[in-house]
Amino acid sequence: MSDPVDLPLEFVRWLGDRLRDASPRMSGFLSDLVAEIDEKVDRIPAELNEYGYDPWGYNPAVLKRFILPSAFLYRYYFRCQTTGLENLPKGRVLLIGNHAGQVAFDGLMVMAACVLEAEPPRLARGMGEYWLGTLPFMSVLMDRTGSAVGTRQTAVDMLAHGECVMAFPEGVHGMNKLYADAYKLMDFGLGFMRLALQTDTPIVPVSIVGSEEQNPGIANLKGVARLLGMPSFPITLTFPWLGPLGMMPLPVRYHIEFGPPVLFEGDSEDEDDVIEAKVDEVKTILQRQLDRGRKSRRSIFF
Amino acid sequence: MPKLLITGIAGGLGRLVAKMARSRYQVIGVDRAPWPSAPDRVVVHQFDMRKRRFEDVFRTERPQAVVHLAFVRHFRSDPATRHEINVEGTKRVLEHCAEYGVQQLVVVSSSYVYGALPNNARYMNEDHPLNASRTFPEIRDLCEVEGLVGTFLWRYPQIATSILRPVNTLGHSLHNAIGNYMKIPLVPTVMGFNPMMQFLHEEDLAEAVNVALEKKIRGVYNVAGPGAVPLKRALEEIGRPYFSIPDPVAQTLISTLFGLGIYTFPPGAIDFIKYPCTINDQRFRQATGFRARHTLAEIFASVAP
Repeated sequence: MSDPVDLPLEFVRWLGDRLRDASPRMSGFLSDLVAEIDEKVDRIPAELNEYGYDPWGYNPAVLKRFILPSAFLYRYYFRCQTTGLENLPKGRVLLIGNHAGQVAFDGLMVMAACVLEAEPPRLARGMGEYWLGTLPFMSVLMDRTGSAVGTRQTAVDMLAHGECVMAFPEGVHGMNKLYADAYKLMDFGLGFMRLALQTDTPIVPVSIVGSEEQNPGIANLKGVARLLGMPSFPITLTFPWLGPLGMMPLPVRYHIEFGPPVLFEGDSEDEDDVIEAKVDEVKTILQRQLDRGRKSRRSIFF
Repeated sequence: MPKLLITGIAGGLGRLVAKMARSRYQVIGVDRAPWPSAPDRVVVHQFDMRKRRFEDVFRTERPQAVVHLAFVRHFRSDPATRHEINVEGTKRVLEHCAEYGVQQLVVVSSSYVYGALPNNARYMNEDHPLNASRTFPEIRDLCEVEGLVGTFLWRYPQIATSILRPVNTLGHSLHNAIGNYMKIPLVPTVMGFNPMMQFLHEEDLAEAVNVALEKKIRGVYNVAGPGAVPLKRALEEIGRPYFSIPDPVAQTLISTLFGLGIYTFPPGAIDFIKYPCTINDQRFRQATGFRARHTLAEIFASVAP
């Protein structure tokens, strides 16, 4: 018996299944990708119960289906160049990335990188906005693919179970920043550092170059966002002018770098100043990685 | 043999607890409803806990231990009566325990007191605030009960008082809200929501109560079962067909039906089939060594049609 879903998702699943059924007959990339995903998702270390769910609702069968579009984007659209995955420690780890691009493709790409390129494959668990948990379908999808609404206790539990947790401490301020601020790291929340100290978890800084150019932000209408109950309402070259289609990113190339793990020591309940100094260290490392990544690329599309 | 007083003994859980405790205690019970087939050596007093005779039981029997289960957990009755039985009833139990030298008290609350909120930690521990009343005023009385017992716990350190907060408990002899919901022939669910839910077999809950008595634990403890699965998967395993309604429709429909008194499922309860309310039971397992014996498959089989 597979994971039950409601009608609109049922349709997506049906479509995915037809695509997967058809894939052996298609020559080349798609069938290879499906086979690769199957093989790698099966090797992700996870604590599954007899019904195939982990304690937070992750289900590999669902991940296999829904990571296919991400994997496709990863390989053939953003043509991600990922380095440093050998830096990923076994067991608990906190991935800290820069957030950009209006739509969180960066999170999806880091997730895809950890499944497709890490050895053994890992499940990078996103810590989502509170708002996402209130959205129908989105909340279920988030759970089944290993992510969760980000609360301290949930992250602590996941790390205690040796999981890989991914966070973007800039939050929506980073994701919806304007193009003028591209690759400037916004203010970091302090929560991730307290979390790392509390659980004695190594931090792996993940720099993502490319996301800033996928959907350059021109303005952010905070009033409209409040009205719609959304965290932000970005205006880009294509959104909202083209409707949902306007969220389509440009085919930029992503350069993702996983830095060496950094283990911080100290009291997780220290004053903000003390924590902030440690957060700044992470920020500096990440900024350095970003600058290096930007310098080494030939153009935003290659 | 020490004496054990069980309030609400004729209910599904009361009977199970009584049968298990019988070998170690002389069991006395109080309930409004009769228990015609009560086993030997179990004395059942049939009257309302709010009556004066309740105190007489404490005075004459002098029980060493009390298990308080007499709560109204459904929404069919008038809210004032429910509140009176749950809150006033608990207050009386506490007063009598203090006055007549009871040595230990176990109160069975519920994990629902934490509330089902979209930003809940996935596995809440006992220190998590009791947020249920924020969105679910109908179970505010259970939060008040927790407050009363919590105060009692600190005021009378010589009495081993424990509050158990079990997860969704299922079984063929229980008639609780979640059980009734999962026994509807065509179960209504909310479209696009499918929270992880923990389940516990009724016999395991009775066992947990007995373990709490045996180990004489003090404090507040979450009690969880063998694990969690999404709600709709649980319904499929049980073999109940379900259908999904969009959230705004469900809210309007349920509020209207509840307001008219046609359907006794309060609108606040919808959150429990949308958002997670899962708990961490590490503290209870460490204190008592308790492990649920029944697997999820056995729990589902116990309420299968």
